[in-house]
Amino acid sequence: MLSRAQEKLLAKVQKPARYTGGELNSVVKNKAEVKLRYAFCFPDSYEIGMSHLGMKILYSLVNERADAWCERAFAPWEDMEALLRENRMPLYALESGDALSEFDMIGFTLQYELSYSNVLNMLDLGGVPIRSADRTDLTPIVVGGGPCACNPEPMADFFDIFLPGEGEEVTNELIDLLIAHKEKGSDKLSFLREAAKIEGVYVPAFYDVSYHADGTIEAVTPKETAPATVKKRIISDLDSVYYPEKFVVPFIDIVHDRAVAEVFRGCIRGCRFCQAGFIYRPIREKSSDTVNRQAKCLCDSTGYDEVSLCSLSTSDYTGIESLIPKMFQWALPEKINVALPSLRVDNFSEELMEELKKVRKSGLTFAPEAGTQRLRDAINKNVTEEEVLKTSAQAFRGGWTSVKLYFMMGLPTETLEDIAGIAELAQKVVNEFYKNPDKPKGKGVTVSISVASFVPKPFTPFQWEPQDTMEQLVEKQKHLIENVHTHKIQVSWHQSRTSFLEGVFARGDRKLCNVIESAWRKGCKFDGWDEYFLFDKWMEAFEENGIDPAFYSNRRRDFSEILPWDHLDYGIRKAFLEEENKKAHESVTTPHCRQKCAACGAAKLNGGHCDAK
Amino acid sequence: MQNDIRIFFTKTGMAKYISHLDLMRCMSRAFKRAQIPLWFTEGFNPHLFMTFARPLSLGQESLCEVVDVRLVGEMTFKELQTRMNAALPQDITVVSVQKPVHKPSEIAVAEYEIKLFSDSPDALCDCIKSGFAAPQITVLKKAKQGRKKIEKEIDIKPNVLSFKITVQDTYVLLHVSLTAGDQNNINPTLLLSALTNGFPSEIENTEILKTKILLENGEQFC
Repeated sequence: MLSRAQEKLLAKVQKPARYTGGELNSVVKNKAEVKLRYAFCFPDSYEIGMSHLGMKILYSLVNERADAWCERAFAPWEDMEALLRENRMPLYALESGDALSEFDMIGFTLQYELSYSNVLNMLDLGGVPIRSADRTDLTPIVVGGGPCACNPEPMADFFDIFLPGEGEEVTNELIDLLIAHKEKGSDKLSFLREAAKIEGVYVPAFYDVSYHADGTIEAVTPKETAPATVKKRIISDLDSVYYPEKFVVPFIDIVHDRAVAEVFRGCIRGCRFCQAGFIYRPIREKSSDTVNRQAKCLCDSTGYDEVSLCSLSTSDYTGIESLIPKMFQWALPEKINVALPSLRVDNFSEELMEELKKVRKSGLTFAPEAGTQRLRDAINKNVTEEEVLKTSAQAFRGGWTSVKLYFMMGLPTETLEDIAGIAELAQKVVNEFYKNPDKPKGKGVTVSISVASFVPKPFTPFQWEPQDTMEQLVEKQKHLIENVHTHKIQVSWHQSRTSFLEGVFARGDRKLCNVIESAWRKGCKFDGWDEYFLFDKWMEAFEENGIDPAFYSNRRRDFSEILPWDHLDYGIRKAFLEEENKKAHESVTTPHCRQKCAACGAAKLNGGHCDAK
Repeated sequence: MQNDIRIFFTKTGMAKYISHLDLMRCMSRAFKRAQIPLWFTEGFNPHLFMTFARPLSLGQESLCEVVDVRLVGEMTFKELQTRMNAALPQDITVVSVQKPVHKPSEIAVAEYEIKLFSDSPDALCDCIKSGFAAPQITVLKKAKQGRKKIEKEIDIKPNVLSFKITVQDTYVLLHVSLTAGDQNNINPTLLLSALTNGFPSEIENTEILKTKILLENGEQFC
């Protein structure tokens, strides 16, 4: 419940429903009756955060407990932040209206490097000291998870604990431990000592990092109770793991406003640029009965008219053929749309397309990622030009008149020839449209190509590679435009400056903590939003702290170098990544995991078991 | 159509921050959760057939919101009301379900209860009273001239049908009856901006509650 003073602010802001709470299925408990209060924070706007599946899972999971209450908080938009600061009011969690500083545990999900400044801003707005060392009481404990927790070093000074890996089990273990320590009146250090003994808990303050004169890492030394390497946690059996029966249903339109059914974790493909393809291994599938039951249950409890299957590559789900008819059986009569994102061109069958036509027709997007076969082989994106053209032709025959193609720029081994190849491939897709004798009269075709700048990420075969400089990227963008000769092809790309900063933090170390704090003090926030991104302030912050950002983004690392995330164990063997890197430079592909196990090492996390084997 | 039904509901408390567009989505999901057998349009993208009588402005509360839908199965009004109230978020409550009598276009008058919180409620009351007493109440209203968006000055005094104003301890309580409907709907916020225009100190908070919608002849819309 909001106070009168909080409500007064709402009359003055855009989209006040971002800040009211009270949505359907949101959970309100009596704070006097719980032993622990957890604030789940998403360091971006309400519309983005409420679309995130992980938050929905953990929110419901914690609220299943009678002794804990989980609430939500999001980064307030500029107008609300100004009002909060002007009126000296703290950032509050939506369910109770209480300040973040009143919570026992504050959890942030780190989905994207450019949300780091928002983490600091939210803590500060919530009345919580931003640095771990300045929070001397037992509570609040600030915890971070999500994909960026695989190299959380640039944020090490601000968090008490990181949770690399999947949170369903370890979150509850950590809550149990904190409740016990609260009850016995313990202190923060004793709590962290015990927490560090839990598998999958990383206490950054328990590791000393020393550096060589050239700025590279000399050693990472554990102390206190910390293990030499922290192994990420995984859930072994997805059929029995907790999955929410209800989602909070927002009033305002959010980015992904639908029910979501998770079908599997991990990915069999091994595209060498893709961090998600490696850090979520090993493959674990849900049975189609479980997925079907969970999807139906969520649609019933939310009233959503759309349900989406969630995984890294839906068509690689072995249960897809049996799942779709099961879902259509109840979804079609209830006029519920079943969305199948992340289908691959190489196994997108005519039958599946026919099935898809029964529901609302959405856009068609393919991700060839690179313009030439040589480069696609180098990045191990095992999709051929023939497959892209065949599927496009199929789609055009099916009545689609626009196709979106995703590419990357700045990939290792890339030349200008590969860039021109992007335009050529798009042109060939346009030509396929005009080859179709039954093409709709009076309608043209639009092929949109969206080109992202490649950012090398930890735990991928490209983790040692230099990122293209901003100048190189701009030159390549120019070259691409020069090779596009028709208005039927629309080109868009990412800002090279944001990609540069993302690259710095993705592979950064603890020396960057000071830079992030400086930049935040200069007003940096919402860095992922073009209208708020203050590149010059970031450059000032690097300068003031004597840090050259190019050291992190544009430098080739030696295979023998100690990487800032080497003490985190994601199951993937470093030697495997090194082999994959060498194969990339020889344009040699690696078959996907179902064709041949590449022995990446991740199966050891699951007792040697992997659903792709 | 004989299966058309009219649902009256209240939208109060925090629900006043739900915009009209968001309310439509919220309602259609509630119908779905409550499993009310309703008619869907038959186009390529079937959607729930649902008509709201008059959109309520963001930030205002109401005791008399109306939505019309078409029932395609057997369900008593009582059952429908119970199921909807179980499915709706807090602060939105169905108060009655009935067969529609009047057309939404017959709505001509809306009554409001308005609270204006201020440090000096007496002065504010006097200010509003003198505003009502003036020969004209002019406001700037956004309008369209062809495709062009313009602002025009209009006198809304004829749209104020009656009012009653009193001072409570911390606020001014204003009951006002304004013309409503497709042609000459007056948003009370517009009226208040004109009436409090000359007031020197800050109005802390304004609460607007729509209490009744009536026909031209003063009869209740039902």
